[in-house]
Amino acid sequence: MIWKIAKKEFLLNLMTFKFAVGTILCMVLMAVFVPILMNDYEQRLQKYNKLVADNEAELRKVRVYKNITPTLHRPPAMLSVFSAGLEKQLGDSARIEIGTIPKVDAAPTGDNHYLSIFPVLDASLILKIVLSLLAILIAYDGISGEKERGTLRLILANRTARHQVLLGKLLAAVVTLIVPTTIAFVVGVLVLEFSPMADLTWSDWARIGLMYLASLIFISAMYNMGLLFSCLANRPAISLILGLFFWVVCAVVIPNASVYTATRIRPLEPKVEVDSQITLLRSELRRQWIDIMVATAGNRSTSQSDAQGAFGNGYIRKFNTDCFEWQQGLHPAMEPLRIKYADRIWEVESGYLKTIWKQRHLADNLSRISPIFSYENATSVLAGTDLASFQYFVSRAKAYRDQIVEYIRSRTDNFRSSSYWTPFSKEYASDYGDGKREAPDIADHPRLNLEDLPPCTYRLDLAESVRRAIPDLALLVFANVLFFALSFVAFMKGDVR
Amino acid sequence: MTRRVMFKEILENLLSLRFVLSLVLVICLFAASGFVFVGKFAEQSADYWAETNRNLSALREECSNALYRAAFYRQTIWREPKLLSLCAEGFEKSLPNCIRSDAFASDLPQVKGRGNFAFPHFSDIDWVFIISTVLSFVALALTYDSMSGEREAGTLRLMLANTIPRYKVLLGKYFGAMFTLAIPLIVGLLVCLIIVIPSKDVTIDAAAWLKILAVAILSLLYLSIFVFLGMFISSRSAHSSNCMVLLLMVWVVLVILLPGGGRIFAEISSQSPTQVELERRLDEVGKEIWDNCEKFGKNAGYMSSDPNSPRNNPPARARLKTALTNAANQVRDDHHNRLLAQALTGRNLTCISPVAIYARASELIAGTGINRCADIYQQVREYQTALREYVRTKDLEDPASLHLVNPELSATRYWRAISHNPVDFDTVPKFQERNLGLGQSLQLAIWDIGLLALFNIVFFTASFVSFLRYDVR
Repeated sequence: MIWKIAKKEFLLNLMTFKFAVGTILCMVLMAVFVPILMNDYEQRLQKYNKLVADNEAELRKVRVYKNITPTLHRPPAMLSVFSAGLEKQLGDSARIEIGTIPKVDAAPTGDNHYLSIFPVLDASLILKIVLSLLAILIAYDGISGEKERGTLRLILANRTARHQVLLGKLLAAVVTLIVPTTIAFVVGVLVLEFSPMADLTWSDWARIGLMYLASLIFISAMYNMGLLFSCLANRPAISLILGLFFWVVCAVVIPNASVYTATRIRPLEPKVEVDSQITLLRSELRRQWIDIMVATAGNRSTSQSDAQGAFGNGYIRKFNTDCFEWQQGLHPAMEPLRIKYADRIWEVESGYLKTIWKQRHLADNLSRISPIFSYENATSVLAGTDLASFQYFVSRAKAYRDQIVEYIRSRTDNFRSSSYWTPFSKEYASDYGDGKREAPDIADHPRLNLEDLPPCTYRLDLAESVRRAIPDLALLVFANVLFFALSFVAFMKGDVR
Repeated sequence: MTRRVMFKEILENLLSLRFVLSLVLVICLFAASGFVFVGKFAEQSADYWAETNRNLSALREECSNALYRAAFYRQTIWREPKLLSLCAEGFEKSLPNCIRSDAFASDLPQVKGRGNFAFPHFSDIDWVFIISTVLSFVALALTYDSMSGEREAGTLRLMLANTIPRYKVLLGKYFGAMFTLAIPLIVGLLVCLIIVIPSKDVTIDAAAWLKILAVAILSLLYLSIFVFLGMFISSRSAHSSNCMVLLLMVWVVLVILLPGGGRIFAEISSQSPTQVELERRLDEVGKEIWDNCEKFGKNAGYMSSDPNSPRNNPPARARLKTALTNAANQVRDDHHNRLLAQALTGRNLTCISPVAIYARASELIAGTGINRCADIYQQVREYQTALREYVRTKDLEDPASLHLVNPELSATRYWRAISHNPVDFDTVPKFQERNLGLGQSLQLAIWDIGLLALFNIVFFTASFVSFLRYDVR
């Protein structure tokens, strides 16, 4: 019997005006916006590729270990086309240095602040708004409409059980809603597939598949919510209005209100305090640095630096024996100190960052009352554009810096080797100091062989993303069960006349 | 007769569930917006005054030291929190809020403060947001069945069986819907104002009241578009449920999707000028001037801290440094203009949607948003000129000074190019943001108001023609 009702409902739904409008709108919007979003992604990818190539080129120019200060760039996520999340809003590069632990800035490098007057647009916005509305539109007269037309009592006059009617309607609606969702995803994937720069790996396919699944669960939750109102109200007009108002609350009110509540419950400490602590640490470091300079004071007048090294750093290219001795004493004392202070400054900064993350998590948890938000969050987790992906980038940058520091340490015998600060040996110093030899051309300075420099890997793990998406997906499933159970109760107790 | 139809409509609406729901929702939102604003405004004002006082006390100290120190003191100028951001916040919290500047050069505007950067950019719950999103939705919910619903109920033909012309029915229904909409709007605004006014940080002067009134009228003009739109679609279709579906989809596109496309439109239409580009340009310009520094006079490129050194040529050096700073300022201004132009292009492209037009018009009237930020940058540049003029006049009073007002600190310090005498802090010009009067704001917003009126006329004509041809059976 369920099948018979489902089939009838499905055919009825397919013939409706709302289904046609919703499906066509979804398709048109995807076909218009996804190529635009893809174009935007390609531009960002080009920029990223150029930055990475520049970085590689600079690495090849390195002549002293001191100058290894590469920049780590966050690759743009291709699936940001589906869910942009915080992709464009958070920092996308980290400079790796001995003296600092990369603090990824709050905004991408060279970001135009004035563009923050626009909200984010991505494919999931189209899906979540248009499809959730379509689900409500299909659901609102499911029960109340039949009640008003008088067909409900005819159905129930037969031996059909009430739960069969409800299940049949749910099944039919889900099958109906699969159609526009699938069309939207197919359009999106086709655009991605035909784009010259996109290279979909199996992990991307899995992510898109999971997003599709999440969309289905989400739409079915929205349908169940509409069905609940349809069971509760006597007239379809009332259930529609109730459903739509609930939708406005879920889409607009809850996400805004939860951010506000989170900022009230867990306010951030003023940034000024953090900054002053850091300034204090820096001046402490400077004092110790001056002490070391005094202790190791050498003849500096015969040294000469240029900004001709890699990454815009300079190195000493002319020196005498005194200067050599001084530099040899300076670096082993100085660099461990800089590393130590970098760690201490990082502790202060990461303490501040933690309060920022905590505030955001609180807001997220509050927003999860709204299924629309849970869906949005699940897709951005799957697209790799959520906050955790960014945090992963920050932690990756820190780990990479530790690797580089360790590498430099091991190659320069704890900064004791002169290769740390100059490409020339001590013999050269005595030659130069005695004026026996002319300093060589900068182009002839020997370069370092950095083939064994540890490469940086930044890849989001699929299993990890799935693990993080599970709570939101579970919440969506729970919303399904809850709304369906409530509508079941309401329908069982309801008067069908 | 129009009046009778109108009263009937109003009474019918007032008794409907949708009206009650929207009234409750809208009042709750306005109340929330009031509470949020009061908390935020107090916090922002405290931060602003703390920062501004810190800046002014540092400036005072520099003034008591020497005139040249005051000229070279890099002031941090913060954007003052504005009362009318209650009406239209205009994403101000993610826009640049401070500019560092001395009498000669200024940095580009920056974003600083205690905001959480990990939150997505979204508008605060201000009036414009509530009206443009929720009330426009309510407008559609009130009008989707204005024609088709009566037709389904069979009352439309009864009405038209009398001697009433169709346009009167249309106007009656329009005014009925507008008056019904005005109730949640006015009650909501009053609730919000009642919450805001007693707060000790807030004083609303006459100009602000006028602007609030202007925003309220503008909101009615905006809502009228959606009423006409609802009536238009309602008189195109025989079934009210179909009208609802169509209107919802139109609403989604106009209110949610099109305004959201601004960033993408902006980024695709023009490349964001990057920081690297700016630095390269600054280097180029600087290098070009340095390479030809002799053209500013003999030894312009040389500076010794010994004022008696015969190689020093202070006037030439001052000319060179002034040229360098002016060129750098020009490059920064160009960069800033390009950043701004990119965002404004995106915004202009979103103006297919009345929501974007309404938001822009109310920001212009309230004096908030991106235009205000751009204006502050301009005002800081003007303030720089005023401060420089002041330094020049004061400097003339000191016979020991060389009277060379130039942007090089070390030269000024060693050669006494600008007076080293202290100055009276009270006579030093301080930065004060100019607020536009209502007339000037309206002048700025006139195009947007015109566009909103045009939307009204188009949808009115469309609904009028459709209803004249509507089959009422």
